[in-house]
Amino acid sequence: MAGDEMRIVTFRDIFQSEAQEMGRYSQEYQDLSAVVRLDQLDMKRLGLKDGQRVAVEGDSGTVVVTARTSDESPHPGVALMPNSPWSNRLVPEETDESRIPEFKNLKGRIVATEEKVKPISELLEELKG
Amino acid sequence: MAVCTGCSLLCEDIEVALDGGKMGKTRNLCRKGLGHFKSIYLDRARPAVDGKEAGIDEAIDKAAGILKNAKKPLIFGWSNSTLDAQKAGLELARELGAVVDDTSSICQGWIVEKVLRKEIPTCTLDDVRNYADVSIFWGSDPSSSHPRHLSRFSYYPRGEKRQRGYEEDRTAITIDVRKSPTADISDEYYRVLPGGDAGLVEAMISVLDGKIPRVEDKKKLISLVTNMKKSRFGVIFPGLGMVYSLKGRKELLDALVEKLNQSSRYSVIPMVGHYNMRGFNQTLLDQTGFINRVSFQDGVESGPEHSVMEAAKTCDAALVIGSDPVSSLPAAVARRLAGMPVVAVDPHRNLTTDVARVVIPSAASGLEAGGSALRMDGVEIKFDGVVESERMTDLEILARIKEGL
Ligand code: SF4
Repeated sequence: MAGDEMRIVTFRDIFQSEAQEMGRYSQEYQDLSAVVRLDQLDMKRLGLKDGQRVAVEGDSGTVVVTARTSDESPHPGVALMPNSPWSNRLVPEETDESRIPEFKNLKGRIVATEEKVKPISELLEELKG
Repeated sequence: MAVCTGCSLLCEDIEVALDGGKMGKTRNLCRKGLGHFKSIYLDRARPAVDGKEAGIDEAIDKAAGILKNAKKPLIFGWSNSTLDAQKAGLELARELGAVVDDTSSICQGWIVEKVLRKEIPTCTLDDVRNYADVSIFWGSDPSSSHPRHLSRFSYYPRGEKRQRGYEEDRTAITIDVRKSPTADISDEYYRVLPGGDAGLVEAMISVLDGKIPRVEDKKKLISLVTNMKKSRFGVIFPGLGMVYSLKGRKELLDALVEKLNQSSRYSVIPMVGHYNMRGFNQTLLDQTGFINRVSFQDGVESGPEHSVMEAAKTCDAALVIGSDPVSSLPAAVARRLAGMPVVAVDPHRNLTTDVARVVIPSAASGLEAGGSALRMDGVEIKFDGVVESERMTDLEILARIKEGL
């Protein structure tokens, strides 16, 4: 069943930053980046379990990541994603006159999926087109 | 003592033991800084042309050729280079008639600009340590992004007029959409909804004007503003949360700071991420009168059409220095960059070096090369490299590309 629309906010996480310093191509960087953190109420409402894969579907693209129960609750209706090439698939190219992308105020639906999280090398191949 | 270039705090108290010329044990680094130091032995970039390993001279020649033949080259990145390298890069940009933009264009730029143009009051982090009694982390989470901010400056330390630190002398307030690690240890956490910052600022101004604010929880807001007003030396540390949320209502930040300054003293220090982004904005401002988004195509011009978001559409080649825009920009923009000839100068392999037609590996500044940079509060910090390296510095690479034209 389709999930309803949520606000998606990207943020920076120290563990992810550390992993990024150590290498963008590491499994650790992927594990810490390709994640969406949801309020426990939303996890319940969407029928999701911690660690389950979900597709985050935005207007500009869709990306498969792992759903986690947030330890920064309460933030019902707000989904948190570490800033990364995965979250950047959801950020539109169009901006307002500030020409600053909407990294922190995205919209998207979150639905359970069987698909795998794409490794960064695959994201890159897609960017190369 | 070494300096960490892992973020714009440029911590100067890093101890490094050398072990046969290699980096051994370190002290005082935060987790992010330790990752940064260790990274010099991981995933380094190698000189390459068209995806094949090449000699460094060949790579530089090829880079010069690409840039010279471009009608409208973009030079992007800058914030992870030393002040001297930035100056050398600007000389190259003038010679090429390039469009120049840096990471501030998609993050803290507009707040940094207000500070550099002295439109809002600021102070140094040393002032914060010595005098600040209220630190407001607004859409910022230093515990994650600038991990030693609270311990070196804004919350825990003893300072000249703040002998009792956080226990009695300092109040930390976090305003954020999520209960971040910084919010967790703050004295007060105020939750704002995504995009709700402008409304919150307006409500705060109402309270400061003695009016009843139009918010749900009036009591909580009034108590927050009362605590802010009580301060004798308050500092707002805006993070990306505020930057993105107020970008359409920038004047509200000035209005709030002005209001707060009627009854106490308030400064703003933008939570710049990269270690020398502020240095680049200052250097460009000194040279051109603009902090970013400058074109040298026809004299000196600045405007949103020269932002990286637009330049990715209109430029026909790019030189990227010390930055990974293919990873950090929206995918559609990254795709545009991937579609043009890119010259990447970076210590590490990343998505941008992987799409680049030419890769020129550089020495990591602060670790393998010395120089100086402006800390997030504008204080200049000088540093030496920690270990020897054969790799060229950004400064040398940019000068060599210029010669190659
Ligand atoms: S706070 Fe920043 S500069 Fe200081 S050690 Fe950590 S990463 Fe390095």
